[in-house]
Amino acid sequence: MVTASSDPSLDLRSRFEALVVPHLDRLLAFAIRRSDSVADAEDAVQEAFVRAWLGFADLRDDALARPWIYRILRTVLSDFREKHGRRQQLVFITRLEDAHDELIGGEHDALFSEVVARLDSEAIHRALRKIPEDFAAAVELHDIDGFKYAEIAEIVAVPIGTVMSRIARGRKLLAGAIMKERGAAAFEQPADALAERRASRGGAR
Amino acid sequence: MSDERNNVLASRVTPAEEAARESRHEVLRELLGAYADRELPPETIAQIDAHLVGCAECRSALEVHDAVRTRLAAERPAAPSPALRARIAAAIDAVPAPVAIPQPAPRIVQHRSVVWLAVTGWVAAVVLAIVLAVQTPASNGRVGGARALAAPVAQVPLLGGIIDDYTRVSQSDLPGRARDLSAVRAAVSFPIEPLSAPDLRLLGAWTTDVRGEPAAVLAYRLRDHLVVQYLVAEDAFFRHPAVRSAVADRHLLTAADGARALVAWPGTSTGTVLVGDVPSQWLQTIWSSERPH
Repeated sequence: MVTASSDPSLDLRSRFEALVVPHLDRLLAFAIRRSDSVADAEDAVQEAFVRAWLGFADLRDDALARPWIYRILRTVLSDFREKHGRRQQLVFITRLEDAHDELIGGEHDALFSEVVARLDSEAIHRALRKIPEDFAAAVELHDIDGFKYAEIAEIVAVPIGTVMSRIARGRKLLAGAIMKERGAAAFEQPADALAERRASRGGAR
Repeated sequence: MSDERNNVLASRVTPAEEAARESRHEVLRELLGAYADRELPPETIAQIDAHLVGCAECRSALEVHDAVRTRLAAERPAAPSPALRARIAAAIDAVPAPVAIPQPAPRIVQHRSVVWLAVTGWVAAVVLAIVLAVQTPASNGRVGGARALAAPVAQVPLLGGIIDDYTRVSQSDLPGRARDLSAVRAAVSFPIEPLSAPDLRLLGAWTTDVRGEPAAVLAYRLRDHLVVQYLVAEDAFFRHPAVRSAVADRHLLTAADGARALVAWPGTSTGTVLVGDVPSQWLQTIWSSERPH
């Protein structure tokens, strides 16, 4: 623990520890989802914290610390990817979109919520790796890390309209990836139960 | 097929009305993610609420959004090991401390804050000036900049007709869809290329008649506002002297009709008029994105 003192650098260190370090757990999770190993993710997070510390005097608004450190981590991860090659196992977007369209236009959508709710983290991470990084990052920053659209726009340096479309399309692609991985069999159930669910949702098609 | 479209068939609406409803469905469907996230203004939420009542397809798509979002929200943070925390602390200790901002006494804080604000404001002003200079068509090294129309819009038949048509279009359902672009291309004698700019997305295309001149109409979504591009043949575009004067030397014609902004520029064998209830600078930026540097 660093205490306040007349040394400005120690005050700064205290502020850094109060504003940035508490986000270490979520930052590490974000890095793990886009790294080949936990060790690689830890290296990226360490590098991000060092860069954040070196530039910490430039952070003028404490309220912006969280999006600011995420932006630094994304830069580091991008640098690492360039250095070590891509980690994703991308699937053609059109195939994922087709799977999503089949989901909402077919007979499986009534069960989708239940199937998704039962997926473990490993399955979620595999699905996220199948969609392009820009879409996955936008969806994760909102749905997992709890950022608002305006904050995500700051983190990824794109207009808010782009964030909106990336999140919307990213979720569709993710649903398509889950559909493809689970297979149609996972969504099958007796016709009576399906009809009951549709009735409870209101509105037949 | 959705409930809404089933009902449409049942009530024997016209093909144009059916196309308008389909167009609205396609626009609102794209907003369902933001709707699920409560990131839309109340009036848009109300539109989607009303649409969802009659559209099972959108209700289904919304359930997918909610399901994915709910599951991802349950993801747990990682548990950093004590070793990682120690490594990070050691790595930070090993680099020079950043240049610290002095922590002055309260009275001085006020004084310095004012100075700092002044400096920051000056820097911001310079940055803003640079940004505007980059975004302003006149300053990016091209020959022409923006030039205001030297006559009321209503006195130029082509532009007056376009404003009238835009007013009608903006107050009703859009009559065309983006995938109709090929049909529009086939229907007019001049080339049509949709505009391309950040945040600009083609919603629909159709043909119309502006004061006797055939025109292609392309509707776009720009930051959740509607902007409409009218393309006419070059002879129609250059007919009025006020238009010729404004666009001479590769300038961009700008005009306003109340809160409605209008910009126009000539193409290779066409003329484009872009209209929207948006700041003129937004339309000028689209032109800037289109023009070669």
